[in-house]
Amino acid sequence: MITIYHWLQLSLAIFSIGLYGVLTRRSAVGVLISVELMLNAGAINFVAFNWAQPARAAVEGSLNASRGVDGQVMAIFVIAIAAAEVMIGLAILVALFRKRQSVDVTDLNKLKY
Amino acid sequence: MNFDNLSAGDTFFFVLSFLSILFAVLTVTTPHILRAATFLMSVLCLSAGFYILLGAELLAGIQILVYVGGVVVLLVIAVMLTQNKNLGHDQAVLSRKLIAFLVSGVFFAGSLFILSASPFANSPPMPSISAAASGDPVPRAGAIKDIGIALLDAGPNGFFLPFELISLLLLAVLVAGIVIARKEDQETSL
Repeated sequence: MITIYHWLQLSLAIFSIGLYGVLTRRSAVGVLISVELMLNAGAINFVAFNWAQPARAAVEGSLNASRGVDGQVMAIFVIAIAAAEVMIGLAILVALFRKRQSVDVTDLNKLKY
Repeated sequence: MNFDNLSAGDTFFFVLSFLSILFAVLTVTTPHILRAATFLMSVLCLSAGFYILLGAELLAGIQILVYVGGVVVLLVIAVMLTQNKNLGHDQAVLSRKLIAFLVSGVFFAGSLFILSASPFANSPPMPSISAAASGDPVPRAGAIKDIGIALLDAGPNGFFLPFELISLLLLAVLVAGIVIARKEDQETSL
């Protein structure tokens, strides 16, 4: 049977792969892609814990007895933050590329050009 | 691990896990950034499958809409806007690869060790989505309605304040993205 342990192992594996990508990519877009992998692993964890928690009695204000949706709401926040992060990151990259004709992170060691 | 009595949901879990780990490795190892974006799209689609296995249908839809439809397209456009001859083959030097492999491997092994010593290692089996569909008393109807109520509930169980903060953040990001990325001409300056 699948337990929460399997889900944690899965998301840990994806997170570690993303970490490897962040450390090895030279293109800043590649780094962003790897960060997306890591964020996705975190979101999977949230939803897995949400599904694993025992069904509780009807909470006050909720419609029916359910296991709650806190983890799913947190995953929605993770997705929204990831979208915001990609948007800002790409705007910075486009501005940077216009100035320097390169987005190689191994060359970027100054904040101001 | 006993593979004799795998339910349909468990089989789906293992197949999806194998595929998503495979695609994740391809994402970080392929030298072409555009291919990496495509592999990332596969990983995110498989994650939508995971969300369905976890009884979060709304999240699966959001995942496809926002990630696959929005973020990946944005990434692809960025790849095309910042295309550079030198980065056509995005391969790090071998020493950096080794160090990165060591760091992420040690992180993975250490976390796995801590995880195996934690109470999660012998937790009870999770409710299966197939059991939920076959009339098992797993309450799941109304989950989408519950998410809507939780997002707009200002009470102790709700997420009203974070929800409003997220909307403010998205507005700020929208404005900031335009301000940062616009051309710095005299005519177009605000």
